[in-house]
Amino acid sequence: MTTIESTAVKPDATALPVRAGTSPMAAALRQFARSPAGVAGAVALLVIILATLFGPHLYGVDPLDIAGAPLSPPDADAWLGTDYLGRDILAGLLQGGRATLTVGGVAALITIVIGVTMGSLAGFFGGPIDTALTKVTEFFQILPPLLFAMVLVTLFGQSLVIVTLAIGVVSWPSAARLTRAEFLRLRNLDFVKASRAAGGGNGHLILRVVLPNALPPIIVSATLAIGVAILFEGGLSFLGLGDPNTMSWGLMLGQNRNYVLDAWWSVTFPGAAIFISVLAISLIGDGINDAINPRLRKRG
Amino acid sequence: MSPVLSVQNLTVTMKGSKGPVPVLENLSFDVAQGKTMALVGESGCGKSMTALAIMQLLPEDFRVTSGRIMLDGQDVLTSSPKELRSLRGNKMSMIFQEPMTALNPLYTVGDQIGEVLRQHRGLGRRDAHQQAIQFLKAVQIPAAEKRVDAYPHQLSGGMRQRVMIAMALACKPKLLIADEPTTALDVTVQAQIFDLLSELQDETDTAIVLITHDLGAVAELADDVAVLYAGRCIEQGAAEEIIAHARHPYTRGLMSCVPHLRLGKTDSHFAALEEIPGMVPPLGARGPDCAFRARCAFAAEVCRTQPQPPLDRVDASAAVSCWRHQEIAP
Repeated sequence: MTTIESTAVKPDATALPVRAGTSPMAAALRQFARSPAGVAGAVALLVIILATLFGPHLYGVDPLDIAGAPLSPPDADAWLGTDYLGRDILAGLLQGGRATLTVGGVAALITIVIGVTMGSLAGFFGGPIDTALTKVTEFFQILPPLLFAMVLVTLFGQSLVIVTLAIGVVSWPSAARLTRAEFLRLRNLDFVKASRAAGGGNGHLILRVVLPNALPPIIVSATLAIGVAILFEGGLSFLGLGDPNTMSWGLMLGQNRNYVLDAWWSVTFPGAAIFISVLAISLIGDGINDAINPRLRKRG
Repeated sequence: MSPVLSVQNLTVTMKGSKGPVPVLENLSFDVAQGKTMALVGESGCGKSMTALAIMQLLPEDFRVTSGRIMLDGQDVLTSSPKELRSLRGNKMSMIFQEPMTALNPLYTVGDQIGEVLRQHRGLGRRDAHQQAIQFLKAVQIPAAEKRVDAYPHQLSGGMRQRVMIAMALACKPKLLIADEPTTALDVTVQAQIFDLLSELQDETDTAIVLITHDLGAVAELADDVAVLYAGRCIEQGAAEEIIAHARHPYTRGLMSCVPHLRLGKTDSHFAALEEIPGMVPPLGARGPDCAFRARCAFAAEVCRTQPQPPLDRVDASAAVSCWRHQEIAP
């Protein structure tokens, strides 16, 4: 012992300064606030959400009422014109945004929940469980998603709930593959082994140790999944498979698609609404990606 | 008094493409309370596999094929997964080689120490936090009240290894396995960490299995030594005896690889530094004969024609597995 005691310096008090409370999440949030595109996307999405929440009340026109002559162009009465039944387009946009955004959000949630569950179990346990779950994932992946969703909606009915479920059920495989890849990468890292050596069970390791570390790309993909789900809802409605009783942007597109050449406003505004929403969500996703992926961050 | 850890005839094999490949053969050792057993050898000699076998954390393709591991009277190999979980972190715990990656980057060090206490001691969040501060003080981290809320990336390597030690000792385990705890650290910090380990051992009476290739550390810390080569124990005994009087040519070779620096003395000592030519034979390329033969300056006919001899107890505190040890080190 003597030699060690004589050479040992007391613990390095010169180490890094203590800045308690800078959690990785808080740091990522700060980083996000510095990305102009991400902030622009967030602001745009916030405006859209607020408009759909309070707009219908403020504008005060029932989107299903006949507000004027069919296909009348934008004027003082109907600010964005009327559709082929004479319904107010702006009222439809404000009201329909609720359904569209809800479908997008809930379908993305379903996508992520199924995908993360499958992916984390497959990636964490490996072996036969991985093989089985990956086969199931691949089975869902090779089905053409739009066709599959159309089949589901045709079979179970054209309600908003079914449309949402159908979108979620057809789009989870990519989330599963992403999660599985992250789990495969993380499960053999030292801190996972150390947690196991400290007595952590599988549930603890999956939920509290590996999953939080796998979250960054999953959050990005969840954000983008909202945009994809909105497009999907638009696509289904355009093909006439949306819920005809609930106003949504997709439904407006689908119902007015025969009048594209006669009344541009009837499809342009719903289309623009979808475009701007999906763009905003994509910008947010990119912003998050930049914020939590340190390799992309060092660009400036 | 019965030993805290007793490993008997432990054999670990790896599932290879051409059938099972032995990774560890017939390893036996005991560690008593408050004592330190050092496992020494080059990389690939089976030291870490021994540790993982004791913790029952062997990688998928590795299996214990025979032997017994008794921890505090409990047979580790026949324990259920649930029993193992309550053993790990509680009665036995482990410090890893790489403090940079062995802590979860997303939780504060206080959370990570507290997690062990909450799991094994059923403490509440607040109590666990308070105890975590105490443990950080015990491992001599300055400003423990502040650092308890720091994230691993805000700490230096030496500090992180201290946190790992605090985590490992939080539940006052009977056995601590330290797998090359200082390999990734600066030399000055290495000395601090060894110093800390030995202080804490005096306080807690924990048995330590120290895995290292640092023979200096062995001389300082260990009570007993087992030298592993290619999965076989080739020399075993009291640390003082082995250091002072190594009998196996491999052990002697390892010792001559350690630079002996003293203030005021230079060049001639560097010149005296030797190397062991060649490298550890890969898994599967090990026959029944002495695995060290190809690299051994003393290899003779008997070494090739006869299988490697069993550990031969040469005196009360040392055993060696070499045909020619009497000629080499009489």
